[in-house]
Amino acid sequence: MAIHLSRRSFLKTASIAAASVPLSKVVAKAESDVVKAPLVPPGSFKDTQTVVGGVCEMCFWRCQLVGKVRDGRLVKIEGNPKSIDNGVSICARGNAGVKMLYDPDRLKYPMKNVGKRGEPKWQRITWEEALDTCAEKLKGIVEEHGPEALAIFPHGASASYPFHFFEHTVGTPNVSEASFFQCRGIRDMAYVATIEKPPGENVDMPNTKVLFLIGGHFGENVHVSHLKRYLKGLENGAKLIVVDPRFSASASKADVWVPIRPGTDTAMLLAIMNYLIENELYDADFVDEYGEGFEEFAEGIKEWTLAKAAIECDIPVAQIKQVAEMLAENAPNVAIHPGRHVSWYGNDFQRQRALACLTGLLGAFGVKGGFVPPKGPKGLKKVSWPHGEHEADRLTEYSDNPYTFSPPGTPTDLIRDAAITGKPYPIKGCVVWGQNPIQTIPNQEKTIQMLQQMDFVMCTDIQPTDITMFADILLPECSYLERYDYIKTGTQWNFADEHQQYIAPRMPLVEPGFERKDGIWITNEIAKRMGYGEHIPVKDQVEMVNYRLSGVGLSLDKIREEGGIHLQPGVDPYGVDEDLTIHFYNEDLEDEDYPPIPTYIPVDRAPAGYMRLLYGRSPLHTFNRTQNNAWLMAANDSNPVWVNDKVAEALGLQDGDTVKLINQDGVESRTTTTVKVTPGIRKDAVYMYHGFGSRNPELTIGHNKGVDDTSLITRLAVDPETGCHGMRNNFVKLVKVS
Amino acid sequence: MAIHDTDLSSENLDEEAHTLSDVYSFLSLTMRYPNPEFLDRQFLETYVLLLKSLGWQEEAEQIQLLIFSSESCLDELQLEYTRLFINAIPKSTVPPYASVYMDGDGTLQGKTTEKIHDFYRNCGFDIADSSEPPDHIQHQLEFLAAIVKEKRFDEEEQFVKTLFRPWFKRFKEQVLREARQDYYIVSIQLIDFFTKEEQ
Repeated sequence: MAIHLSRRSFLKTASIAAASVPLSKVVAKAESDVVKAPLVPPGSFKDTQTVVGGVCEMCFWRCQLVGKVRDGRLVKIEGNPKSIDNGVSICARGNAGVKMLYDPDRLKYPMKNVGKRGEPKWQRITWEEALDTCAEKLKGIVEEHGPEALAIFPHGASASYPFHFFEHTVGTPNVSEASFFQCRGIRDMAYVATIEKPPGENVDMPNTKVLFLIGGHFGENVHVSHLKRYLKGLENGAKLIVVDPRFSASASKADVWVPIRPGTDTAMLLAIMNYLIENELYDADFVDEYGEGFEEFAEGIKEWTLAKAAIECDIPVAQIKQVAEMLAENAPNVAIHPGRHVSWYGNDFQRQRALACLTGLLGAFGVKGGFVPPKGPKGLKKVSWPHGEHEADRLTEYSDNPYTFSPPGTPTDLIRDAAITGKPYPIKGCVVWGQNPIQTIPNQEKTIQMLQQMDFVMCTDIQPTDITMFADILLPECSYLERYDYIKTGTQWNFADEHQQYIAPRMPLVEPGFERKDGIWITNEIAKRMGYGEHIPVKDQVEMVNYRLSGVGLSLDKIREEGGIHLQPGVDPYGVDEDLTIHFYNEDLEDEDYPPIPTYIPVDRAPAGYMRLLYGRSPLHTFNRTQNNAWLMAANDSNPVWVNDKVAEALGLQDGDTVKLINQDGVESRTTTTVKVTPGIRKDAVYMYHGFGSRNPELTIGHNKGVDDTSLITRLAVDPETGCHGMRNNFVKLVKVS
Repeated sequence: MAIHDTDLSSENLDEEAHTLSDVYSFLSLTMRYPNPEFLDRQFLETYVLLLKSLGWQEEAEQIQLLIFSSESCLDELQLEYTRLFINAIPKSTVPPYASVYMDGDGTLQGKTTEKIHDFYRNCGFDIADSSEPPDHIQHQLEFLAAIVKEKRFDEEEQFVKTLFRPWFKRFKEQVLREARQDYYIVSIQLIDFFTKEEQ
């Protein structure tokens, strides 16, 4: 049996004759993509190749990877055995990168929105049309209003090159990176104001005697080599102190769990430091040698007795004392962890300053188990867009608060408010690159207002996140598995091992699919069209990485031959940096009318009937980035809300009940979630994973799964020194649905 | 091959293979992103002619309407193609890839993609420079056109039966449910007609 009768009878009829000639003509106009090729006998053996040079970006820890590739298809991701960082280990998200790569919902072609912002109607267009439109619109806005009229929201390694183009060369200062203004910018700036450098997460956990965490929930927060350090420390007998309103995964391993009242951490830290000073339990010699302004500091925090802090923090005096003594007894080999995501209450700069000062009081800089920055490879060249002649008109010049200690860029709310009000100047063009401001920036209504008043919105992403619904032009970018960009460097994960350094440039494990392009190409094409062609610093992604590597006598080819990672002898990281200065009292802060010594600034407590909304990480997700991943969502597709068992009983809630959440401003969650009843959270707070409840139906797996916590963060808190957001000052009540 | 050997003269067989190959090529174009290089008045008129020769009168009239509105037709078809097969709100996208339906968790580049690609190569064909994976419906129809042109009906049948129909049936149902443009409804029905097993 060959041709079916129905079809055969048709093919034999005379009537087909009328159509057959025109058919031949029209099909001849378009070339087939299926062509003659050498015959491959059935059953031919296809080898699986190991492709080296992968650098993960399911999260931003960037583990080094290899890909198992068969016939151009990535079938498995593994840790690069040559890695001295993550080693062969990768996490669930790292493994699930395959599902991100081949997610059918991912962006494939440039598209224009012929519908409304927020209710898009997409039309696939050519790259030519997309780039021409972006360049023409952005250029038009710059010509009419000046470069400041462009707001840039970047995130991730591939966003650096484009945002530097807009910031340096085009000249807009209005850049808001989520990694700074809604995450770790406060930490970095507070440490800069205290020890003159950002801290990273550089505590020597494997070799410490005591690890002190505020809010860190390792195990739920999975960064592989960081977790290896943490677990090695516990294995080696380190004591663990965890300060957290919730019984987190780390709290479950802790020697001391301090279930502190949210927002009061600085009060506790000040009391600990005051206790150490008053009882002469601090390292006076170290403070003498490296400290500045210690006297003013000691005097200024005197009011913070254990008793006062105990009341404020709602924890026993004995527990604060126990923590202080445990730290003092083991000093200087104690790790005061600086944290990572620290934009919590709008008083966070002070807490971060206090952490740095506590490290100083304990003499825990440069010593085994203390704060020890790794000594990684030096000498990589930099690629940067040249600065134009335009002198940027900064929004901080017009603001009541100059946010002198702002991380690089402009505080998000200054940009958003200027866009909405048109004052002090209009902001009419928006470039979003790898960030999802709908789920990173609190108060979604204002963000949407900002977007709606723009003359033009361009988004580049790998997938249709919530923000992409508001794009006029949407550009599909290569994922981290399909591009070159970032060069990961570092040292062996445990300083107790032989000192080594590594250099691992990201290389693609597979060719880009569809019409996805890398950020260097996209930026250069837009730059040319906007008239900045002569300023283009590198012609493509390979040239960029090779140029950077040339500073250390390496190249992509050479590192590929070496297995994707270049190793070289390292340097002992221990010892106190002779330039170290610990600014217990900071004159620059004083000059700008900010508290010059770490100061506790109380925040509102939950109104009656409401609980503070806390959020954190799922070990299986990187917030919203992984919300459409088939494997990860199969394992964890919702964010149950943790409620204290006594509170649940009073509210008539049982474990597994379905609820919606309503915040203090009457904003209701669009979706529902279930209740997790537990004694492991304070009565005045609830907790859920951040990043769920995507509103974009194009994410066919992630859409409306769980509750979008950001939608409930409507009341704004802004850290006065940095302009970064505090996102844990909203309160919710739970309404049982079923 | 028995039927062809006994029933048809070789000249008839040549002609039939040629026509069927052109039909497959034509169908593959209906599943390609509409662009003015091929989708023009002549294309639509040929479409009408093909439908009329099949006796699909009502469908022919539906396509005929597109010719009258040819100014906006391309734009509308591009929007509909994007909505149906690329990205859309609400959840109306019907991915035109075999692996999404066959490989468990709705993936691109699954085992089915590899099987289909292998089938092409085992027959002496390959995909040249395409942004789409080998199991995109457009490529599957192009492959059928290529193989039928060489009168390799057994391989055609094997491919249709084992690699095309199993996913196409599910794809078809979803397209018929989601499509708003007659063009795609008619095209899917036509692909169904030319590939379905004889009842």
